[in-house]
Amino acid sequence: MSVWPSVWLTLQLAAVTTVILMLIAIPLGWWLATTRARTRPLFEAITALPLVLPPTVLGFYLLILMRPDSAIGGLWVKATGSTLAFSFPGLVVASVIYSLPFAVQPMQSAFTAVPRSALDAARTLGASGRDALFTVALPLARRGFLTGAVLSFAHTIGEFGVVLMVGGNIPGRTRVVSIEVFNSVETLDYATAHLLSYWLLVLSLSVLTLVYFLNGRGGGARVG
Amino acid sequence: MSGEMLEFRLKIARGPKFVLEAEGALPLQGVTAIAGPSGGGKTTLLRALAGLDMADRADIRFGGQVWEDDAQRLPPEQRRVGFVFQDAALFPHLNVAENIRYGARRRGIQSYDAILDALDLHALMTRPVAGLSGGEARRVALARALASNPAILFLDEPLSGLDQARKEDLMPYIGRAVAEARVPALYVTHSRAEIAAMADRVMGLENGRLTGWKSPPVRLAADVIAAKGETIRVVIPGAPEDASGARMVLPRIAEPGERIGLGVRAESLLVSTQHPGRTDAVLLLPARVVEAEGGLTVNVFGQNVVLPRGGPYAIGAEVWLSILEVSPRPQAGDSAEIRP
Repeated sequence: MSVWPSVWLTLQLAAVTTVILMLIAIPLGWWLATTRARTRPLFEAITALPLVLPPTVLGFYLLILMRPDSAIGGLWVKATGSTLAFSFPGLVVASVIYSLPFAVQPMQSAFTAVPRSALDAARTLGASGRDALFTVALPLARRGFLTGAVLSFAHTIGEFGVVLMVGGNIPGRTRVVSIEVFNSVETLDYATAHLLSYWLLVLSLSVLTLVYFLNGRGGGARVG
Repeated sequence: MSGEMLEFRLKIARGPKFVLEAEGALPLQGVTAIAGPSGGGKTTLLRALAGLDMADRADIRFGGQVWEDDAQRLPPEQRRVGFVFQDAALFPHLNVAENIRYGARRRGIQSYDAILDALDLHALMTRPVAGLSGGEARRVALARALASNPAILFLDEPLSGLDQARKEDLMPYIGRAVAEARVPALYVTHSRAEIAAMADRVMGLENGRLTGWKSPPVRLAADVIAAKGETIRVVIPGAPEDASGARMVLPRIAEPGERIGLGVRAESLLVSTQHPGRTDAVLLLPARVVEAEGGLTVNVFGQNVVLPRGGPYAIGAEVWLSILEVSPRPQAGDSAEIRP
């Protein structure tokens, strides 16, 4: 049996998840880095929740939310004609939530490190707050952006529990590589399990090396 | 002095220890220094006026325009304040040219060559800002602020953190650029040398309160008569050929034929009724008292000079001015009044 459908599905899922996550992480990381709201710790905790919650618990709640008789699941069925659970869009939603801290936290700390005076200078030079975010803060936080994107991609590739809970195990539709490994072991197909595990290991190691390389490179440009 | 003013009433509490409560009106002409000890609230005042920090209560009017009151608050990008920060605050991801263009482009300014000339920046334009020296970074920061065509310039200790030689190099640049841009400026500093070189008037600020106008630096006009290498020879206008005490040598901040200003700190100026004989003075000038009320106004070769201190001098009395040190600036400024 070919492993390619699950490899292809995994890469698609990771790519789509990463794009959506970074679109969320920029405004959310910016808000967390700059707000003086007293509710900030609560939002930081919610963002970090997927780090500590068992994937099965997260998956269970997501499954409940995606049921056709729930508000969100019902809306989705009305809009698209199919259920959110056990579908690719359902996997994306689950992955986005599950990998959220890996995108938001690097973004937040990178934004926190952007010198306040550079942002102030941009404002006095005629830039609106949003203009300053995109032309000053984001370029200066680009390493946080890269780190967040790479970690999101890698973490999505490596997830298992949430995907299994929300997506099940449907070949070509929701069966990602990590589940393929599980299946191979269950059916004593150790050759396939070895092959997939080996490449997942190599990929993860490369990605993490890249992240640490990006973060460790030089002191960066800082003006005294 | 034109009637346009920057008027403000501000209250800003920074913790239980420090409260800035300032009310004032600063003329929108020339360079107004805001002077006082560190921690007195100078930076807090500038940032609140520029809209960078939220005040607890603010009423700010710039000329006829309301910047802030109970009903409205203009964001900083709409106040057109050119802000020069203490640490230059250049954008590290952009090079020198891109830094300067940042503000100019947003305000629709195409050409700012005169500012680049005044600050001698053409050779630096393609450099990354990370490699600039402290003095170069300040010049770029000033050019960036001026190129954005500000309605007023705020300079927050623009020379802090530089060594003395570098400060003296930079002061003429700042004077020339501000004069070139014809923009009023608020200059925050605690350095009396900078005040003498830059300021047309001085407002005091201490413990979060404005303490009123201080005596402005004495300002004399001088004409550049010769240049040689890095130095120029200047003379007080109207001085006769044999008045050697009216001539001095300065670093080359202007060219022959131009008129410059000489700022003199109060403590560098001595008034005496007798010729002081041997002296360390760089300028020794005969003068006649023309007004003795309030301060002391004397006439030096036709030039009226206002001195900060009065004295037991009658109108018409002949006195000698011994000037121990001057802070030159490239333009004569408005406070040096010349009467033919």
